[in-house]
Amino acid sequence: MFKPDKFITEKIAELQNKIKGTAIIGISGGVDSTTAAIIVHKAIGKQLLCVLVDTGYMRKNEVRFNEQMLKDLGLNVMVADASDRFYSGLKDVADPEKKRKVIGELFIRVFEEIAVKQGAKYFIQGTIAPDWIESGGGLRDNIKSHHNVGGLPEKIAFEIVEPLRDLYKDEVRLVGQALGLPTAVYERQPFPGPGLAVRIIGPTDAAKAAIVREACAIVEEELEAAAKAKLMVIPWQYFAVLLPVKAVGVHGDVRAYGYVVIVRAVESMDGMSASYSRIPHEVLEKISVRITNTLKDDVSRVVFDITHKPPGTIEYE
Amino acid sequence: MPKIYVIDNGGQWTHRIWRVLRELECETKIIPNTTLLKDIDADGLVLSGGAARIAWESLKLGECTTYFKEFKGPILGVCVGHQLMASYYGGKAGPSEIPEFGLSKIRIIEPNDLFKGLPKEFNVWQSHNDEVKAAPGFTVLAESDNCKIQAIKHASKPHYGVQFHPEVNNTENGEAIYQNFVNVVAGKKIS
Repeated sequence: MFKPDKFITEKIAELQNKIKGTAIIGISGGVDSTTAAIIVHKAIGKQLLCVLVDTGYMRKNEVRFNEQMLKDLGLNVMVADASDRFYSGLKDVADPEKKRKVIGELFIRVFEEIAVKQGAKYFIQGTIAPDWIESGGGLRDNIKSHHNVGGLPEKIAFEIVEPLRDLYKDEVRLVGQALGLPTAVYERQPFPGPGLAVRIIGPTDAAKAAIVREACAIVEEELEAAAKAKLMVIPWQYFAVLLPVKAVGVHGDVRAYGYVVIVRAVESMDGMSASYSRIPHEVLEKISVRITNTLKDDVSRVVFDITHKPPGTIEYE
Repeated sequence: MPKIYVIDNGGQWTHRIWRVLRELECETKIIPNTTLLKDIDADGLVLSGGAARIAWESLKLGECTTYFKEFKGPILGVCVGHQLMASYYGGKAGPSEIPEFGLSKIRIIEPNDLFKGLPKEFNVWQSHNDEVKAAPGFTVLAESDNCKIQAIKHASKPHYGVQFHPEVNNTENGEAIYQNFVNVVAGKKIS
């Protein structure tokens, strides 16, 4: 069995030997990067600077909430607002792999600028096993380029350190728990590094980000409320996706023509395989009514995805 | 515990095999399929799946066929590893008429070490474009509706093949299948 305490002790010793001087970590506030930050913080203390990039594709209130959460954990946190750079870099980019590469490069350039200012030679990432497995390379086919692996540019001005590289999500959660992280942090559902940009199919912009951000918030709120009311168990991952196609509707006797939103929820252990979640119809109905009413000017339909992984993947791009 | 190495044929679930073996407390590591036999000190091998298409790529997968020929311990071939195993012994593998992805059900048709203590029918996770069409010299152990050769065992050598993926968490009894393979290896430990 995987022993989180042994893992933590060995990693801290390894990191203390390896990292001399200042290091920065790209942190999102998710399970992986937060767990990695706490381990590195235990190894090198105040020499670790946590950089939280606001890409403009974060979830509702997420940047503010995560900044506070990370500060409460005793970490040294800096927020870098790069949303305009991400919006303009992703303008008219429709291909999902191109999108992931643009995002990977933008992330690294933001971190490099900060590393130069801070004199940091090491850059920590919360990369876990599925990130490099799915990014391909060598014999392995590229399924999707994760921003922290396959999306990396070729020339990088610092050394990358990935303490969680061989772990899967469920093992990272055990490490997070053993480190004493709050339950809400280590049990948090996964959220992809490229953020809402890969939940908007096709070209993205700030307006589309706003639509999918609200739709994701509704899916999260309704499913969390249903789980709390014991109508269902909270899925492993759950969110909304915005399709670039429109469908006809009718609003108060007037023709409507808006986007289609997908509700996606899956059960998994490690993200490497998954089955779609059996969500009760009454819960799906609430989600559908809320999304089509709240976002009535933009969304005319809500559909539910019933694809397993494989053949699908969990996210859409 | 026995030493069982995972031969990497480039599969999405190679690392999962390693993880299941580690959880079963085997001594295990992932090694490239180009590793020479003389450099392998394991008691058993698991050949992973991979993106290679058996029908139109070389019937070799690195050194895998050398392992069939000369490796002394038990071998479990998964997906393309299973297809290569059947082909090596004179069988046939090629594109499936109905490929399977995700959920499918297998039926055990021949009791065997690999499925010891398991139900006759259970749900498994699949991901294959190709399949084994004929496996002379092997006993067929299991089938699914759309693929008649889901698991095989060689008549005399401790060589096993499975088309589905017991290492995937969604596969029912997957860990038990690996435990059974570990038991086979432990029973035939070389050293």
